[in-house]
Amino acid sequence: MTRTRKPGLSRRSTLALMGAGAATFAAPWVARADSKKLMIGMQSILSGPIALLGTSSRNALLMEQDRINAAGGFLGRQIEFVFRDSKGQPQEAARLARELVNTNGCELLVDAEASSGAFAVQEVVRSLGVPCIHTNSETSSLTADPKIRAPTAFRVARQGVHDAVAGSIYLSGYANTNKINKWATCAPDYAYGRDTTAQYLEFFKKFKPDIEIVTEAWPKLGQPDFTEVITKLIQAKPQALFTLLYAGDLSAFVNQGNIYALFAQMKVATPNVDYPVLAAIKNLPAGIQSATRYLETFPDTPANKAFGEAYLKRWKERPTNWSWQNTVAMQFYEAAIKKANSLDGKALAAALTGLKINTPFGVDGTITMRDDHTTINYAIGWGQTTPKPPFIVDVKPSDWGKIIEYETEWKKQQKYI
Amino acid sequence: MSKHPAWRDTIIAVVVLIIVLVIPLLHRSPAFEDFIIRLSAMALFATSLNLLVGNTGMVSFGHGMFYGFGAYAFALTMQMTELSLPVAAVIAVVATAFAALCVGAICVRLSTEYFAFITLAVQMLFYSIIISWQSLTGGDQGLRGGIPRREFFGFELESQLHLYQFCAIVGVLGLLALRHISVSPFGQTLRMIRDNEDRASFLGIVLWRARLSAFTIAGAFAGLGGVLAALFVSGAYPEFADWPNSGQAIFAVMLGGIHSFLGPVVGGMILLALNDLVTRYTEYHGLILGIVILIFAVGLRRGVLDFIKLIRLGRAR
Amino acid sequence: MDLDALGACLTTPACVVTQTTSGLIVGMLLFLVAAGVTLIFGVLKIVNFAHGTFYMLGGYVAYTVLGVTDSYTLAVLAGALAMAVFGVLFERALISRVYNSDVLMQLLICYAVVLIFDDVVKIVWGPEFHAMGMPAAFQVPPFFIAGGVVPPFYAVLIGIAALIAIILGLGLSLTRFGKTVRAAAINPQMVSALGINTTLLFAIVFAIGGGLAGMAGALAAPVRSLSPGMGFSILIESFIVTVIGGMGSILGALVAALLIGMVRGFGTIGFPQFTDGLIYIMMIAILLLRPQGLFGRAS
Repeated sequence: MTRTRKPGLSRRSTLALMGAGAATFAAPWVARADSKKLMIGMQSILSGPIALLGTSSRNALLMEQDRINAAGGFLGRQIEFVFRDSKGQPQEAARLARELVNTNGCELLVDAEASSGAFAVQEVVRSLGVPCIHTNSETSSLTADPKIRAPTAFRVARQGVHDAVAGSIYLSGYANTNKINKWATCAPDYAYGRDTTAQYLEFFKKFKPDIEIVTEAWPKLGQPDFTEVITKLIQAKPQALFTLLYAGDLSAFVNQGNIYALFAQMKVATPNVDYPVLAAIKNLPAGIQSATRYLETFPDTPANKAFGEAYLKRWKERPTNWSWQNTVAMQFYEAAIKKANSLDGKALAAALTGLKINTPFGVDGTITMRDDHTTINYAIGWGQTTPKPPFIVDVKPSDWGKIIEYETEWKKQQKYI
Repeated sequence: MSKHPAWRDTIIAVVVLIIVLVIPLLHRSPAFEDFIIRLSAMALFATSLNLLVGNTGMVSFGHGMFYGFGAYAFALTMQMTELSLPVAAVIAVVATAFAALCVGAICVRLSTEYFAFITLAVQMLFYSIIISWQSLTGGDQGLRGGIPRREFFGFELESQLHLYQFCAIVGVLGLLALRHISVSPFGQTLRMIRDNEDRASFLGIVLWRARLSAFTIAGAFAGLGGVLAALFVSGAYPEFADWPNSGQAIFAVMLGGIHSFLGPVVGGMILLALNDLVTRYTEYHGLILGIVILIFAVGLRRGVLDFIKLIRLGRAR
Repeated sequence: MDLDALGACLTTPACVVTQTTSGLIVGMLLFLVAAGVTLIFGVLKIVNFAHGTFYMLGGYVAYTVLGVTDSYTLAVLAGALAMAVFGVLFERALISRVYNSDVLMQLLICYAVVLIFDDVVKIVWGPEFHAMGMPAAFQVPPFFIAGGVVPPFYAVLIGIAALIAIILGLGLSLTRFGKTVRAAAINPQMVSALGINTTLLFAIVFAIGGGLAGMAGALAAPVRSLSPGMGFSILIESFIVTVIGGMGSILGALVAALLIGMVRGFGTIGFPQFTDGLIYIMMIAILLLRPQGLFGRAS
């Protein structure tokens, strides 16, 4: 052994490296001992082309955190959110859910993942038995299929089959009035896009048997260029287009469609228009048939308007559909914890089942958590776009009686009940 | 070097295994247990890749496809049949080895860069098949409904502790097997091919056959890693077989050191710990990870274990 | 699969014109990015996995410049120029340190840069998507050729990209600099021994590659959404182009980019669910039958 120093290879630096390494490995398992605060885990997509989903969910939850803490917290404990980004990957979503509970000591979960992540979280919740509310997954089977439903997992979000019934009733009326029979569809090529398109078409054909689908386009999620999709749609010469694209994809589609004058060549209907998307589309064509995701003017009540204004004031942009859903999830937690006087998974599940709360986002000022762990009576309607606020006008509320009637029929058909 | 390296390796493996198995008996930490479960999958995945990269000089960009193949094969076998869990795992590994044999038969004759690109292309094709073959794989949603975990030999994998023990045992045994392969005469042959393929070929070694064997073995162990991953998340997802996942294995190999057997394991530990730690404090996880990678790549210019080896060699001289 | 629809389309002039334009625009923008990848590989033998980041940053820079100056021309020039400078900095600060390392070390460094700048974009411009909007000059209705739709904006983009392809091709074959570049691609030691400043040469090559990718990002910004991580898919496609066309061949990149554009344009009618698979199969077939690519030199 010699004492000559070699550049970059000193013993001190080696020791420092090893020390840093040891600290890196030890740190993740030193549990936080702040038992007074109630930690709530929230995971979502906070990066990539649909980061809007995660950020607008988080914004809403931060507003709820302030409100609830000002009112004394849950069971006298101040609440604090732990936010995590799954990047929309199911395996990362599963890992994060476990970590939030096992490492961060979260006692409640708000799962703001899109559907692919939500199904992965569902399995973790099933094995951990922790209370969880899914706030953004719209895929019906998450709660409708008894094999997938989990005892302590609930959904506070609009649901694919509800949207499909409401949309099909509205659009079949629209198609009858305007004598539109030839339709084209365009949806992102993944489970949500395909399943939901199929659901819409199923009900659409029920209400208007003589429609014809002249072409279907399936762009990839986050595809940069929709040109070939747009030209394909134009070639097929449909009278109207139904599209399930959303967020950045919808905005890119409209911008690229504009230069082909797509909107002059066919009517367009979409259930997925959110405020920030409307704001991002610089030349929004008027007269797109659109569902209300979140709208300050529907339901047209002071409470709803106040929410929209408060959100805009704090975040400098308007809320999305995901914002109201996360807000309502916290309102459900608040009411259920008060009722159960406990944070235990089973007790909360019992309290949540059948719970009806007052909230600005309900069609009649209330939303109910049905006993199959999913919400009903939220605001749902269709209208048409204008380029200026309020962006969607002539909103016609959908009939919840009919929605539930057809939903039940669908569930029987799927052998869920 | 000891006179009986095989014994020495086995003893080290047994000691490590005993330590890992004793820890939860003294102190239960679900976070630590999760970490070891994920590490066992990652370690098999990255170490098997290093059998190609470090040992044989074959840079594969598509190793994730076998990790994904193993996960899907295992999960589907468990869902669709009544076979016991170890049998399903063996079936999954054998099926993955066969898949690797087929893919390897197409790819191994190509030279370095082209080999890297064709493995990447085959992986992307495989990924797009998983996505489109919805009825079997569940498409981009992944395989839903959970993996039934039938009890075997008293192991009840629904329990966190049993899953931890199972993964630790499989992980350590798998690594031990890979170690044996790497120091065996076959492993020596692979290193000779890496260092000088002309000389190897003069000595009568059939290059493509040796490379194909290495590719098949590496694929099988990656598949075993995929089995553990499927158990952890209770499903199989297309991301397992996507290119960023292959990238994870490459980075684990690079960060830990390609010329040390345990390098990929250490690299995997660094990646997992960094991911867990950094995501806890900031959502700018990529920024931190990127800077750490740059420090390694530009500062050390080699993986951690290779760096330490270099220091020790420097001292000894 | 819908071969009837494909056949019907190929026999109607309107459909052929429309889908060809759409294939051209996809292909030409892809060419601008892939040209840089192939040029850098040809001269430096470096596979630049960070090239998608140049494309992304070019788009964001253009977005900001348009917001300030309200001029699309300035925005595109700024995007290209900024990325040319960025390319040089990237080469000097990082890539120059790994010229003698293997492809894995290059991959590692490029991946780090991708991760870092995806997050830098998130910090500077926010994690949510942005849309630049169409410049007022192009808010005009499309014109028709043989019944097929051709948007003026795309016609201009195709023109610009074609012009660049010609300048690049002529520049490489006729000018002294181009000859040096081609010589360096074949025998870098010899070029260096002849007293040519290879450091400068390498920096210029990165400036051109970065500038082209930045320009592609800026040109596409009015119609494509901007979001962190958007460089990823364009990177994969430009690799496929580089491999199919032949690593180091500009002509190959052009042909392969157009080929992919056309596969997208017509594949969406014939095989809507399998265009990606078709492209990967093409890449595998090329690697097996002609590993050096359509226009590459056998090594």
